[in-house]
Amino acid sequence: MGKDWLELTSEIMNNLYRSEEASARGDAALIVISLFFAGLLVVAFTSNPIATGTKPGERAPLFSGKAYNGDGWETFVFDDLLTPEWTPNSTDDAPWIAVEFMDRLCGHCVSAASEVGDWSETYVKTSNWPGPDVLFVAVHVEFQGSSSRADIEEFRDSNGHTFPYFDDDGVGSFKDWDIGATPTYFLVQPDGIVAWNSGIQNLAWDAVSEESITIGDPNGDQRVKLNEAIEQITLSYGGATE
Amino acid sequence: MNEYVILSFHAVIILYGVLLMTPLGDSFGSILVNKWPSTSTKRGRMLAGLMFVCTGGFTVSAHTLWMHNKLSEGGSVCSGSSILNCDGLIGNPDYNTVPFIGQPWGLLGMVAFCVLLWIVVVVAKEPLAFSTPTFLKAGLGATIAGLPVIGLLVSYEIKEGLICPFCTTAHIANIIAMVAFFVLFKMYESDEWAPELKKTRK
Repeated sequence: MGKDWLELTSEIMNNLYRSEEASARGDAALIVISLFFAGLLVVAFTSNPIATGTKPGERAPLFSGKAYNGDGWETFVFDDLLTPEWTPNSTDDAPWIAVEFMDRLCGHCVSAASEVGDWSETYVKTSNWPGPDVLFVAVHVEFQGSSSRADIEEFRDSNGHTFPYFDDDGVGSFKDWDIGATPTYFLVQPDGIVAWNSGIQNLAWDAVSEESITIGDPNGDQRVKLNEAIEQITLSYGGATE
Repeated sequence: MNEYVILSFHAVIILYGVLLMTPLGDSFGSILVNKWPSTSTKRGRMLAGLMFVCTGGFTVSAHTLWMHNKLSEGGSVCSGSSILNCDGLIGNPDYNTVPFIGQPWGLLGMVAFCVLLWIVVVVAKEPLAFSTPTFLKAGLGATIAGLPVIGLLVSYEIKEGLICPFCTTAHIANIIAMVAFFVLFKMYESDEWAPELKKTRK
């Protein structure tokens, strides 16, 4: 039995070795695989792709739908807030974007509403903030229960917020942004790269060195808050009016 | 360099392949005969033409992969106010990756054209092998399998009201390859495949 198997294998190997057809396939495979990897190498050496995600350094997922801006529900396109041509050395007024994923029925979101409102008014040049404008966007998700648009309007207006409230019901952008709990905050660079994610805390993205950096915890409360992230990250670049 | 100038490089490779496969191939292929004597025959020119078409399809697919990467960096590679706009399609995260696999369409194109190229090179190297009809059928099947994929991508273009010229060039290369494999298969069934064996057969 062992001998038969050995003979059979030997015969197959011998045929393969001598077969011109097998040789043609092998030669062709070598040519084509070489071409494939040459193509891949050219692409790899001439581009630097950025993954879409919510970790610092990744490209923030885009979303669009309806948002309440105080006057009514209007079409909101996240891309419209971005300035793709922004660079760390830009001296223009490209705004950064702070995104808050919240639920009006979440206790922490309710208690944070006041300070989020304050931050949205602090980080604008008109309030003598030396850094670039930071646009705030609240994305309302339904983790605790259902909310009507009238409920969202009421929550926004009662907290005196002036930034848009995006209704994520039926859109599901929270999945792309990998939101497991509310509130979760993000600071996004003008070019759409995530600079900071409250879920990852003291890790931020440095657009100059293009690598992750650690940011401090000024209050020493073991927790980096959105305002602390904004102050530490945005001021280290251009973007402010000279 | 203007993106359409670069696109024309890919198109020229494909166009040369198409010309080789037509009756004009006799004169267009004369520059290849010294290096590759098999191109003096109709079968040889058809196979050489198909190699050029697959190579052009491969290079344009690699270019769309490069565009995909560049757009993820935040750049703009082929945008404009007209209907011809790659950025709106290759840069659109809703459409720019293969469903279930999550990889860029350009990478799928590179793999597909490499497989087709492998089939053509094998057939060209051993045109009289027993496995030749199987390879020709496999090539035809693979290009036909590409049609629903092209249909899906065209549906994205219609939905967005845009046309991606680079993607369209790759789609055209697949369709040309499909026709070429069909013609080759028909040729295999006739005496045209190996006229030198005609007498032996009879």
